[in-house]
Formats: sequence, structure tokens, C-alpha cells
Amino acid sequence: MIGASISRWTMSYFAAALAWLFVALALMVAGLGFPAVHLASPDTLVLVHVVCIGWLSLAMCGALFQFVPVLVARPLFSEKWALPALGLLTAGLVSLLAGFLGLGGRLPAWLWLLPLGAILLAGGFGLVVVDLGMTAWLRPVGPARFVLVGLASLCATVAFGAMFAFTHAGWAGSIGETILANGVPLHAIAGLGGWLTLTAMGVSYRLLSMFMLSPDVDDRKSNMTLAAGALAIAVAVVGGIVAIWLVSGLNVVLSIAAVLGLATAALYGRDLIGIFSGRKRRQLELNTRMAVLSFVSLAAAAFLGVVLVLTGAFAAHVGAFTFLAVFGWLSGLVLAKLYKIVAFLTWLEAYGPVMGRTPTPRVQDLVAEARASKWFVIYYVAVWFGTLTLVAGQPSAFRAAAAMMTIGLAGIVREVIRTRRLADVAGSLRLPNGACTPCLLCARA
Amino acid sequence: MTNQVIDRIRDALRVVIDPELGYNIIDLGFVYDISVIDGAVRIVMTATTPGCPAIRFLEEGVANAAARVPGVRSVDIVMTFDPPWTPSRIEPEVRASLGFAAVN
Repeated sequence: MIGASISRWTMSYFAAALAWLFVALALMVAGLGFPAVHLASPDTLVLVHVVCIGWLSLAMCGALFQFVPVLVARPLFSEKWALPALGLLTAGLVSLLAGFLGLGGRLPAWLWLLPLGAILLAGGFGLVVVDLGMTAWLRPVGPARFVLVGLASLCATVAFGAMFAFTHAGWAGSIGETILANGVPLHAIAGLGGWLTLTAMGVSYRLLSMFMLSPDVDDRKSNMTLAAGALAIAVAVVGGIVAIWLVSGLNVVLSIAAVLGLATAALYGRDLIGIFSGRKRRQLELNTRMAVLSFVSLAAAAFLGVVLVLTGAFAAHVGAFTFLAVFGWLSGLVLAKLYKIVAFLTWLEAYGPVMGRTPTPRVQDLVAEARASKWFVIYYVAVWFGTLTLVAGQPSAFRAAAAMMTIGLAGIVREVIRTRRLADVAGSLRLPNGACTPCLLCARA
Repeated sequence: MTNQVIDRIRDALRVVIDPELGYNIIDLGFVYDISVIDGAVRIVMTATTPGCPAIRFLEEGVANAAARVPGVRSVDIVMTFDPPWTPSRIEPEVRASLGFAAVN
């Protein structure tokens, strides 16, 4: 296969993901969950899962349904599974959140909603893993290997999560109680580090090379980065389970995983420098400039983590560290690339079919970067400010930062909708004969 | 006569752009070869990235544009990445306006 098809449901995943991000920010502005209450509280569990499943995982799945076929130059294993997976994931997340709210006394304590949510989420993620895994497995080259490790980490994350959900409902016995009491860091590392971070790294290699016309990262280098990352996750998950089994505490395992994680970030930084220095397009588009801010956030999170560990304050400030990693690195990168992916796919849908018959605009004609850049800057400044408020222990100021993030996000989403509507394309080129405005929430079959 | 048809096809293909770079595929050097035998056209072309979803539309766009040239009876598109496209294939003035590094 020389060219991938347009993924029909990627826009639907993006729309659902952005809706969940608004929900998460609304919760933060309202002061629900951390930092108003402690990290393990039911309200924080609601917030964390809205962000990690609703926002980041749905956005990542939507992007992967489009880009795994590009990475491996093979068609998707099954186009038909994407929509049922989205339905299962959404239903599962709603059920899980209702269970957490019951756990915290905000809803009736129907704790069976937690295992029900876990089963639905396992079904949805199962479809995603098999679909993307079977696609990437056929030609596991370069960045596709990151996706495979990310999918394996997703399986581990879901397995831990399901165990926790069954335990909360009282259906997992003493083994479940033991794993719930000790295994939450492993669940978080597998999800944020393995699934989301390693996958984001892999996809970023390809997207950055593609849009800047850089040579692909040498396989030996990216394999080294992946090996360090995969080892970090394997040590955390496998070593962590063994440590829990032996009742020996997680400190040694987590310390080794942290060092390997730091090495992964450093190697990724080396690979990025190679991509940027080898690029043929010298002028950087907005999506790339904003992705650079996410890389800066990753470096800042790594630095913050080291400083906190060295000063013995990591446990007290793990929330600030995680917030910067989740909203600066992961969310920043996803928003920057989503802005570009939407423009690119919208162009293909609107103008691809009439190419050769009539003049068409460029992808860049669909966006107004000068106007959009301020929303990204507001978002990033708010995230960095929010991190400082968490370190300083200022929950009220944190809510102000969350409000500022919401403003930035609203601006970005408005720009994305304008792109989808072809609102910024000059009148003469906007709708040539045969072209039509794409559907906002999905690609036409 | 054949050369005139090839020139007309080459001109017709200028309506097909690479959506990302924003210039027509002739000036970008995507078209490796055009041959015509008794109105049957064979175009060997490339793109920047294998697997890119734009490739299918580039192929269709080239076929559509070429088919509209008088004297063309059929069009066969061969998409290849051997040799891979490099920015050195871009017309110099276009390369300068794209802000490309003077490499490769």
C-alpha cells in the first residue's frame, strides 16, 4: 500500500476527547479533586480518569487510527472497529466515573458500576489494541515499535485498573486488596509513561519528520530510546508486582524505573535535536513551534522530578510533577498536533477529490496561525503557572490557572472548528466545483 | 507531436499541488517521467512521504489533469519512492520561497 486512507472516525475521537478535556478543566476550576483534596480521593480519581481516558487516550486513539497505517504503510486491520471502540470507551468511562462518585458519596454507592466500567473499558481498549496492534505488527518498523510497546503498556494499565475496580466493589479478595493498596503507582506509570508517553514519542518522530521534511531518525538511535523506555515500564510493572508479592516495598523498583525514565527522556531529546537540525523546511509552522513548548515541558518535568527527589520532596509534590507532565508535555503535544492533523485531514476531505480538476488552496490556507498562536501561548503559560501554584501549595491560584487554561483551550477549539468549516479559506478558492465542506465530527464514507 | 503532448500534460499537471508544500508537483519535482505512445500516457511520479494519505489524491489528481489534455486516450500512473524525492528536485526559485535549507 502506498497511501493510507482517511480514517473515518478520527474527528469523532478528537471531538469526544476535547469535550472531556473541557469537563476536566471545569472540575479543576470548580475546585473538585486535587489539589483541594488529596491525590487518592474519589474526586481526584474522577478528575484523573477524565483526563487520562477521556482526553488523552481518546485523542491518542483517534490519532493512531489515522497514523498507524501511515507509519507502517499498510491499511488498518479493521476500519469497522473504531466506532464501537469509541462507544465502549465512552460508556465505560461514564460508568467508572459514576462509580467513583458513588465511592465519594456524591452518588448512591452503586460500586458495581466500577467493574462494569472496567469491563466496558477493557472491551473498548481491547478493540483498539487488536486493531492497531495487528496493523503495526505486520510491519513493525521505526516509530511503529513505540506504538506496539505503548499498546502493551495500555494492556497492563487496563489490567491494573480492572483489578482496582473489582477490588473497590469487593469482588477481588485479599489479592486485590494488596494490589490496590500498593499498585497505584504501577498503574499510573504504565498508563502515563508506557501507553501515553512512549506512543506520543513514536508518533512525534514520524509527524515531525513528515511535516519538517527531515530524514527519519536512525533506527539504532530510536531503538535505544525505545529500549530504555520499555525497560523502565517493564521494571516498574513486573518488578513492582514481584515487590508487592514479596512485600518488600516499591522504593528500589521505582528508583530504577525513574533512572531509566530519565534516560529515555534524554535519549528522546537527542533524537529530537537530530530531527530539527536535519530538517529541510527551515520555517517552523505553529504546530511544530507549539510542540517545542511541550518538549520544553517534558524537560522541565524531568528536571522538577530530579530536584524533588534530591530534596526529598517528591512524595509531597508528586501532583505538581504529574500535572506538568500531563498538561505541559502530553496535552501540549496532543493539542499542537491535533491542530495540524485536523487541518491536513480537512484539506484531504474537502479538496483531495477535486485535485487535478481545479485550483485548490494549500493546507496552510485553512488555518490562521497568527490568530491561533495566542491561544496556545495562553494555554502553556497557564500550565506552567499552574505547576508553580501546586509546588507553592496555592489551591486558589491553581483554580485561576485552570480557568486560564480553559480560555486557551476554548480559543484553540474555536480555531479547529473554523478549520473544519473552511472558514479561513479565501472566498475564490473555498469551495470550487465538486468540493464540499467536511462534516464537523467525522469523515464522509 | 509526442513532445507537444508531453509539454501540454506537463502544463496541465501544474494544477495539482502538494497540499503541504503548497506548490504544483511539476515545480516540486514530483514527476519523474512522462511518456506517450499512441495517446496512452504513462506518468512516473513520487511524493514526499510513503504512506501519506495525500498520495491517493495526488495520483487521482494527476490522472484527472492528464486525461483532460487533447490527444490523451488513457493515463497510467506509476507511484514510486525509488529514488526517493529530495528538495534538490525543487525548482530553485520555489525552493527559495519555501525557505528550504540548501542541502541535498
